[in-house]
Amino acid sequence: MSNMIKLEIYRYDPEKDDVPSMQSYEVPHEQKGMKLLEALNYIKWHIDGTLTFRRSCGEGVCGSDGMNINGVNGLACITPIAGLKQPIRLRPLPSMEVIRDLVVDTTHFFDQYRQIKPWLQTTSPAPEHERLQTPDERAELDGLYECIMCGCCTTSCPSWWWNGDRFMGPAVLLQADRWIKDSRDEATGERLDQLEDAFKLYRCHQIMNCMEACPKGLNPTAAINHIKRTLLNRKS
Amino acid sequence: MAIKQAPLSPRLSIYRWLPGMIASIAHRGSGVVLVLSVPCYLWILHGMTGSPQDFDSAVALLHSPLGRLGLWLASAALIYHFFNGIRFLCLDAGWGESRDMMRNSARVVIVIAAVAAIVLGVLLW
Repeated sequence: MSNMIKLEIYRYDPEKDDVPSMQSYEVPHEQKGMKLLEALNYIKWHIDGTLTFRRSCGEGVCGSDGMNINGVNGLACITPIAGLKQPIRLRPLPSMEVIRDLVVDTTHFFDQYRQIKPWLQTTSPAPEHERLQTPDERAELDGLYECIMCGCCTTSCPSWWWNGDRFMGPAVLLQADRWIKDSRDEATGERLDQLEDAFKLYRCHQIMNCMEACPKGLNPTAAINHIKRTLLNRKS
Repeated sequence: MAIKQAPLSPRLSIYRWLPGMIASIAHRGSGVVLVLSVPCYLWILHGMTGSPQDFDSAVALLHSPLGRLGLWLASAALIYHFFNGIRFLCLDAGWGESRDMMRNSARVVIVIAAVAAIVLGVLLW
């Protein structure tokens, strides 16, 4: 008998439960390097088919399986079980409406993303071929373009918990910075105008939970600070 | 069928307190202490100026356990707010923005303030 992994998982079924509860599970530790998602899949497939969670690629690219793991947000598929204190406590991403178990409603999160117009905006006529960047201009986007919009950072941010209706949150602001820094984009002024707001941008109080939560090792706090400095430079 | 309000997933009650979060909330907390301590000490200072008896009673208040606790709290808050304020200014200027620097600088200011608070506590007691 292999050793067992103990988990406690947040459960909520809107058709049956009035309030959420935590349920314990035990999963065999099957192989070295086992990831948290594999334990969840084991539960789903062999123990309790009613456990509900999102997952797709299983390798930290799609950003589906963001959840709160022992108090810090992360992606289950790239979190090794070996480093986690047991029982591993799994909860849905914080401060979100729970649809069922670990599945949360991301409508507002993606609506905020839409608001920053996360695409290349240009006014100049399209060149015959692509819009070119120098290697240096392209390198400006490193640390930003890797974001997969999993929501781990935004839902880790206390400012967003209290003011999420108006504060854009770290993920969206990091994406905003990605377009502000893009040398090909011609709407930088409008992008900055939109963010120059006490709530949309300046609710960031450098708590840095976003940076700690980011499963891709990015730094939304630094991106937000860069937007603030860009706004300051524009004034002076 | 009644539509149930979806529960909000837990947030502050379950989130792990990491150095950056502690440093940020402590900055706000110490700031509130400092703002409130200014009128308190001005009021005590004003109370000293009436007569020699007023001066003596104000000095007695400052030397009482409550007065020393207040002074300790305001001083510890000032030290923390000063060092973390410099940290925030550096970050605003774009210095020390790497993930490790953000983490470690939070730890450093917390340790500085904790050591200073202990030293102050010993001196005042």
